[in-house]
Amino acid sequence: MKMLIPAYGKNESFARNAVAGFAVECAPTVSEINDIKTAVSEAVTNAVVHAYEEERAENMIEICADIDSGNTLTVSVRDFGCGIEDVAAAREPFFTTKPGEERSGMGFTMIETFMDDMTVDSAPGKGTTVVMRKRIGGDAGTRRNA
Amino acid sequence: MGVRCNAERGRVTFAFDGDIDEYACRTLRESIDSVIAEKRPAEVVFDLGGVAFVDSTGLGLILGRYKKIAATGGVLRLKDVPTQVDKVFRASGVYSVVEKVR
Repeated sequence: MKMLIPAYGKNESFARNAVAGFAVECAPTVSEINDIKTAVSEAVTNAVVHAYEEERAENMIEICADIDSGNTLTVSVRDFGCGIEDVAAAREPFFTTKPGEERSGMGFTMIETFMDDMTVDSAPGKGTTVVMRKRIGGDAGTRRNA
Repeated sequence: MGVRCNAERGRVTFAFDGDIDEYACRTLRESIDSVIAEKRPAEVVFDLGGVAFVDSTGLGLILGRYKKIAATGGVLRLKDVPTQVDKVFRASGVYSVVEKVR
């Protein structure tokens, strides 16, 4: 699955629900679906809030999702915005570049908590790509194949 | 996302409905703060029973309101927290500062 959407706040809900809909193919539990929605929402929100200075139709977010034969879901969320200067610092809990706006600084931490792994590829001026993976259904997978 | 507000005897209850994400927080923040500034309640309750989804921006909303309410001597309580919301709050340590009630 691959989709391109404008980086508008109102699209955050659509983005997480679209990926959750795609992930239904892996027969996830309700809890797993919630984890995926939370993680995708964090990555998309980062693109909306941080990648671009304002909401304009040409500021896009590209979202791809795939399921492999081992029932692992891979989701990538890419923007073409300002990029992150220090990725290691940005991944630390409570790190935020916008403390005045009540940002919790927990976005990347949430993705790491709710998915199995996360990589962040970014450089100033080059945009950011967040790739997250989650193996769906220890139990659900066994039941499904029984 | 919607929020209903009920004020009685020093307590203000906000009942939320729908998704609390970054987009929703843009308007929620202001509408909650204007009520709190006007009523200056001793106790604020966020009834989250109708919340379908929350992410870390919702967490920022809670902690931001907590700071404002605590600064004027009030308390904030989180009521009827659904499973998905609870998981996000537990992962982020919200309950170390804000009390959860039934």
